[in-house]
Amino acid sequence: MNAKRLRLRLTHSGVHIVLIILCAVCITPLFWMIRTALAPSADILSSHLWPNHLAFGNFVTAWHAQPFLLFLGNSLLTNATIVACQLGTSALAAYSLVFIPYQGKRLVFFTTLLAMMVPMQATFVPIYSMLSTFHLINTYGALILPFVGSAFGIFLMRQGFLSIPKEMVQAARVDGATEWQILVNIVLPHAKPTVATLVLLNFVYHYNSLFWPLIATNTNNMRVVPVALSYFLTQDAGQSLQWNLAMAFDVFAIAPVVILFLLGQRYFVQGVTGVSLKG
Amino acid sequence: MSRALPGVLKSQPRARQQTARKVQSSIHGWIMILPALVFLTLFVFIPMAYVVYLSMFQSNFLTPTMRFVGWENYYHLLTAPDFGQALTNTVGLAAGMVFLSLPLALALAILVNMRLSGTSVYRTVLFGPYVIPLVGSGLMFTLLFNTDGGLVNRIVEIFGGHPIDWLGGGQSALLSVLILSIWQYTGYYMLVFLAGLQNVPQHLKESCRVDGGGLWSTLRHVTLPALAPSLFFAIVVCLIQTFQTFDQVYVMTGGGPDGASTTLAYYIFEKGFQMYDIGTSSAASVVLFAMLALLTWLQVSFSNRWVGDES
Repeated sequence: MNAKRLRLRLTHSGVHIVLIILCAVCITPLFWMIRTALAPSADILSSHLWPNHLAFGNFVTAWHAQPFLLFLGNSLLTNATIVACQLGTSALAAYSLVFIPYQGKRLVFFTTLLAMMVPMQATFVPIYSMLSTFHLINTYGALILPFVGSAFGIFLMRQGFLSIPKEMVQAARVDGATEWQILVNIVLPHAKPTVATLVLLNFVYHYNSLFWPLIATNTNNMRVVPVALSYFLTQDAGQSLQWNLAMAFDVFAIAPVVILFLLGQRYFVQGVTGVSLKG
Repeated sequence: MSRALPGVLKSQPRARQQTARKVQSSIHGWIMILPALVFLTLFVFIPMAYVVYLSMFQSNFLTPTMRFVGWENYYHLLTAPDFGQALTNTVGLAAGMVFLSLPLALALAILVNMRLSGTSVYRTVLFGPYVIPLVGSGLMFTLLFNTDGGLVNRIVEIFGGHPIDWLGGGQSALLSVLILSIWQYTGYYMLVFLAGLQNVPQHLKESCRVDGGGLWSTLRHVTLPALAPSLFFAIVVCLIQTFQTFDQVYVMTGGGPDGASTTLAYYIFEKGFQMYDIGTSSAASVVLFAMLALLTWLQVSFSNRWVGDES
């Protein structure tokens, strides 16, 4: 019995060691980012694991070198609008798909499924020329409009709504509630976790995405955070790049999502497992 | 409810009332789905159809003239070495993800699923990279892969190797993109597998152990079969995600050196947005779309999870 417990102990310690090593590997790039952001210019590429003295001034310099608040403002404004619009269109569509019986519903459902297969990388040329016809390129409209409807959002909401008992909706209808009232007062309050998941996942997704904002904007004052970050590399090509300032800026850029992730971890996990597991 | 009481509702006025309600409810249904459908049509379906149309022409943004060339753009892709390279790179990257990232994710999920103390911390740390913007991690990895003084080369030197020009090397550039992708996405697949592991029947695991099966045979005969749906889901999602690889390449290598790390998505971007060769770019877009459509179709028809429960 004792030998068995010893073996179990050993296995557990082994597992801990493996996991701790892998977690360390996971954290290393982040650690190196912070370490470099704090390094004085002479110390950036030195072999010290930690700078001899910390140059907190780098953060101040990086903050003033680029209008980070402007970029962050652009990002927050457009992403919040995108998420609000997606929540609206997706909740309405999912309610229609789950709770209202009508002809052609299956067709609509498969049509939205089709939309999930089309990546932005394949359609940016027509979307660009369409928006430029209406003089919307380099405006907030260009950043927002393509994402107002979201197939992924519809799926996520639909999955959340499916677990709400249909009898509850029926009963409300018998009591004379309109579909709109049922959605706002009954269905959405019962789908709070799904709403939270949709909001967090899509906010982070759009905050992080580079491809479309890179194409749709072309002046500094319209830049969002990822585009501004990518300009660090393309502007100062290669060796002249001041890595400590770039990493300080990188810290600013990823801080919002890291904070959101730590606060709403449960919903991120739910989003990932919900999509893969349940239907 | 109404279905349960058909006899009571037989009378004529009631029936008419019911038809009226049916019509009304289908109007409600369509009105509510309309906003999503309009925007998806405007920004997904019409653009996709237009890309197929554009792929039959030779055109650019600068001149308004479009010359119909039929399948010529596709023939051009078939013979163009740079497209072939982009396709090979993309498939190679996908293979790297499926054969390196997914097994690692599965191993991590099994370890985390043992529920030792501190499990939630491990899970958070391992999943963390997934939420970091790829531009941000791309910038970090560009620093790590720096030729002189980058952390990776420092470690290479400790083990007695020579410093490598990671991002500028013909073979190592794509490898660097793969390494970043593994760091970024493995935690996500770990969560997918962790969710799947909750479906492994506990009593089967126990009975396998009672029958004298070791850890390995339990894994092979109980855990893996029960994980099959998650494995399938993860492989397809991994392929879909990798086929769209753009940010990593844009930030770290710019597709270079000499196209050695150009992916399909980056090729489309380069042709369409930087060289204004809309015809070639559109044809390549259709190829990408066809590949993704096939994968999504596979996933939907095999998993049945999304389509099921549609009563």
